[in-house]
Amino acid sequence: MKRELTITSGPLDEAALALGRERSTKAGAVIVFLGVVRDEENSVPISILEYEAFEGMARHQFTKIFDQVETRWPIESIRLIHRIGAVGTGEASLWVEVMAPHRGEAFAACQFTIDEMKRVVPIWKKPVPVAS
Amino acid sequence: MKVKVFFYSYFKDLTGCAVAEEIISENAKIADLMNQLYARFPKLTAMANSTLIAVGVEYQGRSYVLREGDEVSLFPPVQGG
Repeated sequence: MKRELTITSGPLDEAALALGRERSTKAGAVIVFLGVVRDEENSVPISILEYEAFEGMARHQFTKIFDQVETRWPIESIRLIHRIGAVGTGEASLWVEVMAPHRGEAFAACQFTIDEMKRVVPIWKKPVPVAS
Repeated sequence: MKVKVFFYSYFKDLTGCAVAEEIISENAKIADLMNQLYARFPKLTAMANSTLIAVGVEYQGRSYVLREGDEVSLFPPVQGG
């Protein structure tokens, strides 16, 4: 399974990511998930989310998640990008692409990856309220 | 022996620092270290039940026996995505 992990304070360029996709003739399913910053947190309007990571541990935990994905499903590739720093409302903070022979395993692997990320990968977000 | 303790997310606000050094006894467990930290940083106590603990880049429980030079990290539940 090909794997690519990026933790970056830069923007997410979806067009560039699509251009960089290395399609495989074995992959009948390509799915992309975007996690987008909403305009409120707990009913409070916000302008940005400030993401912080314990990056060394985050990379290690993502690697362990990818290892589990590889064991459980016949995935061709997974690419994951998580932004850190300030992410504005409406912008993507997370981008995940999974390629697999069939959609079932692609969706399952993507869901598992995100669920596990939210359980064990040390990344936190701090909402910054809209200035009143 | 000495261990370094790193704080992440709002734990930095609760302790007023990003890193602290603690002197602990030989064969001390994380539970022992936590008791020292609760005495030094009382605001951490309120988060005792939800605090996540890592040594290096692996999660560890409170029965883990610490070694000289261990780097311990404490943080609240993670929120990626």
